[in-house]
Amino acid sequence: MSKHGIINWLHRTFFASPAHRFAIASVLLLITLAIAPTKDFFNEWRHFQRQYVSFLSSRQDGAALKRQFTGGIQQIWLPELNVVDRCTTCHLAITEKILQGAAGIPEPYRAHPPAGHNVKEWGCVVCHRGQGPATEVAEAHNATRAWEQPLLPVKFIQASCGSCHHGELPEAPQLARGRELLSRLNCQGCHKLNNLETASLGPDLSSVGYKVSRAWIYKWLKEPRTVLDKDGNTTVNGYESGDESRMPQYRLSEPELLSLSAFLSVQKARPIEPYKINPSVVAAWSKKPDLISQGEERFRELMCTTCHPVAVTRAGEAKLIGGNIAPEITKVGSKVNEDWLVSWLHNPQAYLAHAEMPRYGWTDEELYKVSQYVMSKLTDSDLLTPVPQLGAPSDEDIKNGKRIFLEKGCATCHSLQEILPQKDFGPDLTAMGAKNTSELDFGKSKAPHNLISYLQTKLKDPASVNPTARMPQYTWNQADLDAVTTALLSQTGKPATSALQQLVVPKKPASFQAIGAFATVYERYKCYACHRFNGYGGTLAPDLTFEGSLAQKKWIFDFLKNPQTVRPALILRMPQFNMTDKEASILADYLSLAVQNPAVDPESVDPRQFTPAMVVTGKALYQTKYQCQSCHTIGGSGGYVGPNLNNAGNWLTPAWIEGWLRNPQALQPDTIEPRRDFTEEEIRALTAYLMTLRVGITKPSAKSAANAHPIAQGAGR
Amino acid sequence: MKSKLLLIAMLLCSVLCVLALSGCRKSAAAVNVGAASGAYDTEPDWNDGAKLIPLGYQEAQGKRVFYQYCVWCHADATPAGPSNRSNLTPVPPLINDGEKLNGESDEFMQKMITLGGSALGKSAMMPPYGKTLSPAEIKAVISFARAIAQPAYQKPGQQYTTK
Repeated sequence: MSKHGIINWLHRTFFASPAHRFAIASVLLLITLAIAPTKDFFNEWRHFQRQYVSFLSSRQDGAALKRQFTGGIQQIWLPELNVVDRCTTCHLAITEKILQGAAGIPEPYRAHPPAGHNVKEWGCVVCHRGQGPATEVAEAHNATRAWEQPLLPVKFIQASCGSCHHGELPEAPQLARGRELLSRLNCQGCHKLNNLETASLGPDLSSVGYKVSRAWIYKWLKEPRTVLDKDGNTTVNGYESGDESRMPQYRLSEPELLSLSAFLSVQKARPIEPYKINPSVVAAWSKKPDLISQGEERFRELMCTTCHPVAVTRAGEAKLIGGNIAPEITKVGSKVNEDWLVSWLHNPQAYLAHAEMPRYGWTDEELYKVSQYVMSKLTDSDLLTPVPQLGAPSDEDIKNGKRIFLEKGCATCHSLQEILPQKDFGPDLTAMGAKNTSELDFGKSKAPHNLISYLQTKLKDPASVNPTARMPQYTWNQADLDAVTTALLSQTGKPATSALQQLVVPKKPASFQAIGAFATVYERYKCYACHRFNGYGGTLAPDLTFEGSLAQKKWIFDFLKNPQTVRPALILRMPQFNMTDKEASILADYLSLAVQNPAVDPESVDPRQFTPAMVVTGKALYQTKYQCQSCHTIGGSGGYVGPNLNNAGNWLTPAWIEGWLRNPQALQPDTIEPRRDFTEEEIRALTAYLMTLRVGITKPSAKSAANAHPIAQGAGR
Repeated sequence: MKSKLLLIAMLLCSVLCVLALSGCRKSAAAVNVGAASGAYDTEPDWNDGAKLIPLGYQEAQGKRVFYQYCVWCHADATPAGPSNRSNLTPVPPLINDGEKLNGESDEFMQKMITLGGSALGKSAMMPPYGKTLSPAEIKAVISFARAIAQPAYQKPGQQYTTK
């Protein structure tokens, strides 16, 4: 009843007459009309703008900024990028130079430090993601129900570079490392991915039965490592040293291990070409007490560790030394059959057509010494102890093994007779980096529900988000995990607009066609496995794109015949291939004529015009005015950041030295040698001096090679 | 009866007004924008490897430039192993040597890197990088040096706070 009473009372008081009713309706209408302006007045961004004005008043240099300030929603509109960016509504000083780097400035008023892209031209969301048109803090920065793309944590910001810059970008090393890992681990074997180098595949297994035993295959499938640490039980963590094994670990059950090892151990498609070492050599050497130590010495001289990592114990700590472009061989003697090893060393391509191992010019004596050393010293008698007695493979095992080979996707990396490569075995990841959280299946994982946490959880343990995942187990250190995450986040699919497509910086196509007699020698020694020509090839050794302009032909020939003489400071050195004179001169002729820099004209400098006075001046400039010895060594003293110049007169061409002194980056963009203000007279004098530096060639002993200084980075760059 | 309905409608209207206004002035502080802050990269404290120093955008760029160009002489360990530092006289300062570098202004450091040691009456062993690195890259290297300095570097000048 009382409720009724109140309504009646309200009715009597306010609605008694039409005039009352009209008045009340008007008031309510006014209030309704006032809602929008009031809301607007109390908006978050107005609050930040008012605070900005008072912040500017607190600064001595704020007056000018205050005069420039105009309130209201600020917007950067980039129709060609499909971007509306209102971030500057609150981040008002983002482009103010005055505030750049000044201390104690609170967000959101900090200025952006100078970046590759001007913020005024590009806005914020192109790199940082988030919702550009939003005018509320939460909607702009965080994921909401309507907008699932939050800000990219800045740790992964290089992913944004990669969305448009499809080629190499020196400013984004984390992205580059991530892309390198994606192709090194052959993620493209299963997944579709964009902008990567051609993947490197695992070895062809068609004849693996000749190479290794079933027991070794079993061990490898279970735990794909061979290196043990000083205690003999745990593996050296190659991931810390960057020498990770490329084979991931599959979660295989005992019967699966038995079947798969049985199937692989009977793969004997192409019989190995047995190479018989001359029996008289064997007879003469097998009884020598120093056979193994001589083999070791030769092994060192051949610089096998330039490509193959080997585990050593230094100061009580096991670690891998050597290059990382070939398999780790610390225990290879317990892995391969001796016959296979000899024929492999003699001619790797006979076993594996795509092998990048060069074909050395062995003498029987060397081949015997080195293979004996490998089989007796690079071993571990405990390597196969955890493997059960396997016996002969049964037909049933072999049949099951083939099925598992296909089920597990082994053919995505390894080729095998009669089995076709398994393309698109895993999901397409070309748009993974732009996925919404609602599209991701976290399964029973307790990981936070966002894209980055999904990627990292999946990469760390694929089974945690999906117990039936076919993806194998990789081991990452945190830096590599972040790098791969960055590279995956950069896979944002096709650009949203055609204008955006035009802004994409594509990858430079790299090709180098070796021709004629040169091609034969180049292929035999696999020069491209370590050296880069015109953007094509490895990066372990110096880029040879302009070698013909840089080095004298005679020097190239001498170097190829005896490569141990150039930079005694390096531990990763060019192996001695035992090249014939003919092969060395084919390479020297071709390199000196065909791989030249057009900017270096060999005719432009005539060494005959160098006078002794120039040499004296040049030496003074080198030693006193410019103090080049801070980085370069001449004689016994100087730095070892740059190459040793002891033999510059025999090594470098005068035209190259002059061009280099004028502008090193013009000849080699990534060189760290600073460009200086030499006068033309100074350049001539320095060249005259450097051309007088010559030493005779002596062959260093294996001992000095072993003790060589490992600094490699600066040399030759 | 009609007017009673009108009354109820108007009451509802006022409630809606209040509801609509209640959306105003959400506290911005309650929203977590931590994703945007955080570090672009980190660098271990050279005197205490367990401590990681977070780096901002410019400092992270500086780290990249430092490890490409400067590390060979301004650190005791380099990516390739030992350092060239001990080969030089006078021995160049470590990049994190706050005692030596905190006292030098950004302008001086910029000049030193741009023009080299001899232009400023210092050792000619420090070459000029003005034609190799951009002013922004040099600035970035300085900000990296400031970030990892031990003892820590204090920015000169007024400290600003908002009211």
